[in-house]
Amino acid sequence: MAIHQPGRRLLHGISLKFVSDHVTGGGKRSTNAGLSLTSMIDFLIVVVVFLLMTFNSSGETPLAKNVRLPKAENSIDMVDAPLVGVVGGQILVDGASSGNTRDIEESKQVKRIEELFNILKAKRELWKQTRPGKDFPGVVVLQIDRDVPAVVVKSVFQTSAFAGYPNVSFMVDGASKTKG
Amino acid sequence: MAGVDVGGGGKSGKKSLDSEINMVPFIDLLMVTISFLLITAVWSHMSRINANAQVPGPPRPDEEMTQVEPEPQLHVEMRDPNNFKLIWKTGSTVVSDKSVPRKAEEIRAGSGVVGVKYPDLAVEIEEQWKTTGKHRDASDKKFDQAVLHTDNETKFSDIVAVIDAIYRTHRPFNSGKPGDSVPAFNVTFAVN
Repeated sequence: MAIHQPGRRLLHGISLKFVSDHVTGGGKRSTNAGLSLTSMIDFLIVVVVFLLMTFNSSGETPLAKNVRLPKAENSIDMVDAPLVGVVGGQILVDGASSGNTRDIEESKQVKRIEELFNILKAKRELWKQTRPGKDFPGVVVLQIDRDVPAVVVKSVFQTSAFAGYPNVSFMVDGASKTKG
Repeated sequence: MAGVDVGGGGKSGKKSLDSEINMVPFIDLLMVTISFLLITAVWSHMSRINANAQVPGPPRPDEEMTQVEPEPQLHVEMRDPNNFKLIWKTGSTVVSDKSVPRKAEEIRAGSGVVGVKYPDLAVEIEEQWKTTGKHRDASDKKFDQAVLHTDNETKFSDIVAVIDAIYRTHRPFNSGKPGDSVPAFNVTFAVN
């Protein structure tokens, strides 16, 4: 058997010459492009390293649906603390329903929310029982929609303080800081 | 295939230390890692701003009561729709009182307005703190107090915008890190 010079073999069996020429390149510039493996692997490794460095394994802070957080520039990092959400008239503590704001919105008066108070108080007691001898940090994070009226914010704030959480934090969408 | 040369081997006749890496599963692994990291990436940055409820601690009968000199506090009134009022009070005595026009600057994201900020208020608070604030030294562990007065209808986004303006004033703080700075004020709400 004759020895042939290596070259393209695929699609040479097509009888029509103009079709054969077209699909095999026909002397024109090839439709295949070379890819440098070294550069590609370098690029992939850089992407992996970047993504690994920005990866956060502590988990995303659960953001309740339909909550639009206000923007703030001078904000600080989140802490691990009970999360009180106010969503569509409902009050949630770590995702569990803990009362509603209808009564406050109708009366337009700052009130203590009994259900929220009892749940936060129970959480505080549990924290103290599980960590005897440690100082209770008293931090609670409020996740409140930007259109909620101040009377609701003040009521939740005051209830949290009465329940033993004087260090209240408002969850915000950290906007980039502008100069000036 | 790609090879990895770790040296050694050669003339002594021992087993070569060169080994080959199969590029196909290697690239597959990189691609899968990139996909996983991209899917689990968190692109929105949640953060928080503090507000202290100023609740007195539990009584300590063993400690002797000492008379504490009242310090000036900054009261930020935001009930007026046209002006903010910045009032410095020592106890019930008014030290200074100034109005700041309520000029809101919109924060836009995409095509919509997602919030407001009050840069003029932030500048004025900083100026006043430089003259009236008591806790300006880096070694001082206490902070000046700001009290926010708002009516019951104000939107939460407006409250956050004002707290954000108060927190723009920073001061140096000895925390162990060189050049560290912290907000100059602690913010609390006036309940009524």
